[in-house]
Amino acid sequence: MKAVNAVTTTWPRLAAERPTFAAVAEAELDAVHRYLLFLTGDRSLAEDLTGETFEKAFRIWRRFDPRRGSARTWLCQIARSAALDHFRAEERRRRREERYSSDRGPTEDAPAVPGELGEALERLSPAEREIVALRVLLELDGPTAARVLGISRTACSTRLSRALKRLEELMRDARD
Amino acid sequence: MPATDTDFDREFAELVAQLREAPTAAPDTLRARVRALGEPEAPPTLRDRLALVPWRRTVLLAAPVCLAALLSVAVVRGVVSSGGGNRAATPVFGAARTTPEHMPPFPGVGVQQQDTAKTPQEGALSSGAGKGRPVHVDASMRIRVADLDALTDRTREAMQIVRSLGGYVASVQQRTSAGKPGEADLVLKVPVGHVDTALMRLSSLGTVLDQSLSSVDLQQTLDQQRRRIHNLELQIARIEQTLRDPSLTADVRLRLQFQLQAARQSLARLNGTNRTTLREAALSDVSLALTTQRAAGAATKDRQGRAGRAVHEAASFLAAAGAVALFVLIAVSPLLLIGAAWLFGSRAYRRREEQRLLAATPE
Repeated sequence: MKAVNAVTTTWPRLAAERPTFAAVAEAELDAVHRYLLFLTGDRSLAEDLTGETFEKAFRIWRRFDPRRGSARTWLCQIARSAALDHFRAEERRRRREERYSSDRGPTEDAPAVPGELGEALERLSPAEREIVALRVLLELDGPTAARVLGISRTACSTRLSRALKRLEELMRDARD
Repeated sequence: MPATDTDFDREFAELVAQLREAPTAAPDTLRARVRALGEPEAPPTLRDRLALVPWRRTVLLAAPVCLAALLSVAVVRGVVSSGGGNRAATPVFGAARTTPEHMPPFPGVGVQQQDTAKTPQEGALSSGAGKGRPVHVDASMRIRVADLDALTDRTREAMQIVRSLGGYVASVQQRTSAGKPGEADLVLKVPVGHVDTALMRLSSLGTVLDQSLSSVDLQQTLDQQRRRIHNLELQIARIEQTLRDPSLTADVRLRLQFQLQAARQSLARLNGTNRTTLREAALSDVSLALTTQRAAGAATKDRQGRAGRAVHEAASFLAAAGAVALFVLIAVSPLLLIGAAWLFGSRAYRRREEQRLLAATPE
C-alpha cells in the first residue's frame, strides 16, 4: 500500500493525496546524491549537501505541491540551491585565504566516479556535469531539467549535447 | 545535434551506459541520516499555505472576478439610483448659480442666489442670516408636487412649517380648476434666524423646480439711522437748553421753537424708519409657489425612462472607478517600475553569478 499524507487547505485541489516525506526520501535519495556527486565532483561534499538537502526538504515539506512538479524536481532544486550556496561560501573563503586559493589545485580526494570516466568527468565544468547528471542519470526530461537550471529548453539541450561530446572526447583522449 | 532523450541515448549510447553504470548510490550512513528525519508532524503554517497558492492562476482568476464585481456594483448602483421617482430632480431653467461664501463687503448691497431643480439636500440655498449681522432675506421657491391632493396637503404642510418656526403666513392663494395644473402661491414671513431651516424643510415638499434667494445687509442702514437719531436727540437737547435762557429775544425764541418742532418730527420719522428696518431684519419674506405642472425638462428627462438613467448612473460609476484606478496606477507606477527593475536586475545578476560559479573548469 502506498504511504500518503494529505495537507488540508482552503483550496480543494490542494487536498490531493501525496506521498509521505519518508517515502519520497527513500525513493529519491540516490538520485539526489548522484546529482550532487556529479555537480560537485566531490564524494564527501556530495554526501554533506545531500544530507543538507533532505533536512531542508523536511523543514519545508508542507510547501511541496505535487501539481507543480515531481518530488525529484523539487528536491533537485533544493539540492542545487544548497550546492550554489556552498560554492559561494567556498569562493568567499578562498578570497579570504588567498594563500590557499593560489595553491589550490584539483581535489586530492578520490574521484567521484572511478576510472577513466571519473577522470574525464572531473575535467568537465560543474555546469556540464550538472546537465549530464540531470538528463542522463536522473532521466529528467528536457523542460524539467531546464526549469531546475533556470534556463531555456534549447539552452539545456545544447548544453547537454556539448557536455556529452566533450566527455566522449576526453575519454577518447584518455584511452589514446 | 541531439534534442531528445532518444537522440542522445542513441548518439552517445556507450557513454550513457557507462554513466548509468557508475557507482553513485548514496552510502548507508547518509541513508540512515535521512531515514532518521522521519515524517514532518508540525501543522502547516500560514507561510506554508501561502507557498501552495498558485499566484499566477489566482491573479488570472481574480482579475475577471474583480471586473465582474465592479460591473455588478455599477449595475446595482445604476438601478438603485434611477428609482428615485420625482425626487430625482432635473434642471429646468438655465439660471446660473452664484453662491457667495460670505456677506457682501459693501453694506447695503445684497447677494442673490438662484438655483434650479435640486433635491433638498444638494440644492438648498443658504441665506447667510444668523451670523451676527442684521440682514433682510427674500426667497422664492417653485416646487412641483404629484397631484391636486398633494398640492393641498403640501400647502398645509408649508404653513405648518412656517408657524412651527415662529413665522406666519402673510397670504395664501390656491387655484385648482379642471384640466389645468393646480397652483398655490404662499407669501410667508419667517424669522430671519430660521430662514435656512425653513428653506430646507420647504424644499422637501416636492421637487424644487426653481429657487432664488437674495439677502441685503442692513447693518450700515441701521448704523446710519442710529447716528442720525443720536444727532437729532443732541440737537433737540441743545435747543431745549437754549430755550431755557430768559434773555432770549422773542424772534430768536420763536425760530428755535420752529427748529425744535422740526427736529422732533424728524426724530419721530426716523424712529419709525428704524423700527421698520429692524422688523425687516427680523423677518424674511419667502414666496412659495406649489404646482402640479410637470416641467418641460423633467418631462423630457423622464421620457428617457428608468433604464436610461440606470445606464447613465452605471456609466458614471464606472467612469469614476476608472479615474480612481488610473490615478492609483499613475501614483504607483514609479514604484512598480522600480520594483520590476529590481526584480529583473537581481534575477539577471543571480543567473550570471550561478553561471560563473558553475563554469569553472578544473585545469
